[in-house]
Amino acid sequence: MLSYVIKRIGLAAVITVLAVSALFLIVHMIPGDPVSTMLGPRATPEMRAALEARMGLDKPLIAQIGLFFANMLRGDLGMDVFSNRPVTDIVLNQVPYTLTLILVSISWSAVLGIALGCYSAVNRNSLGDRLTGILSVSVIAVPAFVVALYSLLIFAVKLQWFPAIGAGDAGDWGDQLHHLVLPSLAIGLSWVGYIARLVRASMLEVLGEGHIRTARAFGLPERRIVFGYALRLAILPTVTVIGVGMGFLLSAAVFTEIVFSRPGLGKLVIDSITTRNYPVVMGSVLFSTLIFVASTTLADIINAILDPRIRAGK
Amino acid sequence: MTTPNISWTRIGLPRRSFLKGATALGGLAATGLMLPRPAHAAEGTLKTRTYADIRSMDPAFSQGVVDEEIQAAIYNKLIQYNPGRQWGWQLDAADMIEQVDDTHINFALKDTIGFTNGFGAMTAEDVKFSFERIIDDTLESTNKPDWGPLDHVEVTGERTGTIVLKNAFQPLWSITLPYIAGNIVSKAAFESVGGKIDTQPVATSGPYLHAGWEQKQKTTLRRNPDWQGEPAAFDEIQIYHIDDEKAAEIAFEAGEIDFTRVSLDSVERLKSSPIEGTTLDEYPSLYYVWVGMNLDNPKMANPKLRQAIQYAIDVPTIMAAAYFGAAEPSTGIIAPGLPGHRETSLTGAAANLEKAQALMAESGEGNVSLTISVLNKSANVTAAQIIQANLAAIGITLEISLHEGATFWELGSDANVEMVLNRYSMTPDPYYATSWFISEQAGIWNWERFKNEEFDALHLTAQSEADPVKRAEMYVRAQDLMEESGAYKFLTHEATPVIYRNSIVPALRPDGLPLYRYFGAA
Repeated sequence: MLSYVIKRIGLAAVITVLAVSALFLIVHMIPGDPVSTMLGPRATPEMRAALEARMGLDKPLIAQIGLFFANMLRGDLGMDVFSNRPVTDIVLNQVPYTLTLILVSISWSAVLGIALGCYSAVNRNSLGDRLTGILSVSVIAVPAFVVALYSLLIFAVKLQWFPAIGAGDAGDWGDQLHHLVLPSLAIGLSWVGYIARLVRASMLEVLGEGHIRTARAFGLPERRIVFGYALRLAILPTVTVIGVGMGFLLSAAVFTEIVFSRPGLGKLVIDSITTRNYPVVMGSVLFSTLIFVASTTLADIINAILDPRIRAGK
Repeated sequence: MTTPNISWTRIGLPRRSFLKGATALGGLAATGLMLPRPAHAAEGTLKTRTYADIRSMDPAFSQGVVDEEIQAAIYNKLIQYNPGRQWGWQLDAADMIEQVDDTHINFALKDTIGFTNGFGAMTAEDVKFSFERIIDDTLESTNKPDWGPLDHVEVTGERTGTIVLKNAFQPLWSITLPYIAGNIVSKAAFESVGGKIDTQPVATSGPYLHAGWEQKQKTTLRRNPDWQGEPAAFDEIQIYHIDDEKAAEIAFEAGEIDFTRVSLDSVERLKSSPIEGTTLDEYPSLYYVWVGMNLDNPKMANPKLRQAIQYAIDVPTIMAAAYFGAAEPSTGIIAPGLPGHRETSLTGAAANLEKAQALMAESGEGNVSLTISVLNKSANVTAAQIIQANLAAIGITLEISLHEGATFWELGSDANVEMVLNRYSMTPDPYYATSWFISEQAGIWNWERFKNEEFDALHLTAQSEADPVKRAEMYVRAQDLMEESGAYKFLTHEATPVIYRNSIVPALRPDGLPLYRYFGAA
């Protein structure tokens, strides 16, 4: 198991370096002069030259990549040219907001999705199964931004149950949780349907397998068969999907953060790309990549824990 | 070959925990979190909105109104803008300020203003430090141009001094002293942190204190208990960072903010179905929007063709469709209320199709196909589509080329640009408008590559002309020259509609931007 984990973490490190290098090149290749964008119409040639030097843009691209990784290993992602603050501080300040939003969204949708999927599989072709199926497909079909806007209009404007903007007061957990409800509903709702359908399909497949029939033949209680044997196997694809889904949720978090005016990594990336604020773009991209790679790696490790065939390389 | 020992790890499925968790989550959602909350801001707290996050609380590096909205409340200047519908200024930290001659301005500070965190009373040394550091080349301040020909500040007493200019500079009174570059900081405080700060002020002096900043979320200001001027109206001001105007409108309707700018397309709805207990006010904006034609591009070289385009564009239709009738056609680059504003443009706002067709015929051009470069904002795209239809009426095929922000703002250096729909920001002095269209700026911010010696001379002399009538005439003539070149069709200055609760009394600049220090409770 340990060697599997080490191998997987090593692979994750390689993927991170490759992904960040590729993103570095892409970011620097997109048209748009960061110096003009940042300084605006008041820039003198001297100011432009000074800013270019401060951002390291006067160096060849390959030297800029090398410098980025060298500094990164020292924990230095450079300085934000606008506010003169360390990029690491800026990005680390935003990471918890996005991470919390993603984790809360995926958690509640997984809990509900798995429950609905199990129910549907166990009660196959019942009225409840059919209703669950309709409901699941419906929520998958509704785009997250529609959920966001309607939930704002209904729960924030009309009923005034939940706040429309922000992430809550720092240090006040209740307030922060209160501010999380609508954004996590917006990006988690479609995942409920998706996970429910996935779990149902996997469960039906597993419930038809020989070892389940054997367990039934031995007279084991149905609950133990479903939850102790079937779901344990059926959950594997869901774990993988949730791991990969973190990447999708990262992108969904971008518009959610904009619609709900929440701080977060997505909003930071958009703002910094718009202004070609390269140090902040790269810092944000690095952390986004780390979150994605870490979540897929974690999903692989969980799968390996749940299924010995995976860690045995079978 | 060995067979791996496959053994299942015993992880009992946490069914009970799972059910407990699901129940708890549902219960939480159904009860605790859904408690109704107060619809309006707590008493004594003003909740408002800014469209971007702050960049710097250092006046040498602050960029634009977002930083200044906060700085104007926490710092003092010698003079501040007056709230209201007319541009003007009032004394702030200065007890007296007078222009002795073209290049000397004497000032005396009030003796009641002090810096927080034990940095003492405000002195003339602080004024000297604040202004001179911005023109210091080693600091590389982005706001150096605001101080124009500042030579130095002479300290003549503990609270008295003289601002010495190299030559006369009229914008000093309208965009230097009452705006970002005019903020006075504590010399001792700045020196204690190495000469410059980022987003956290070291010491402030205004009616509000900088109580906190949550990145990408909000800035909190709190009443300064040591402030001895007109008392601050609110215990606290919370300025939320809401990028999107529609999101801000929802937040306003949800009762979470008390004041915000609204989008132009919401004005009609808010007028016809007003939100109870709120007021919608419309202010003119200083921005200017125009269609530019690149004089250096061979396709635009024919002056008759350019004039035909000027007469073919129907600005009122653009106002109705792209600006929802909430903005007025402009006559130039200088907005109403500022010196040099023209009452009418030379080519008129409404299209003159007959004249445009006649000019087109005179031009001798046939099968003309042009491209207009546009920033990808909805108002711009709609305006470009109308221009496309207008030009089609005189036989010109217009292609619309959309750009996102960063690529659009690079087009100035692109000699191949043919036409462009452009929009520049503005400060309340005409000098700021003409400075981008001088010959020196061709290919930088003068995208039309308009080069006119008379215009350049007018720009230079008008900035030091003390007679307001003569100065205004100079700027009128400068805009005539721009329009006569055929390179410009002026569209609008846009508008700034704002909405606020009747529980507050907003204090706004004539262009609708907030001056929080003067906001009051109703």
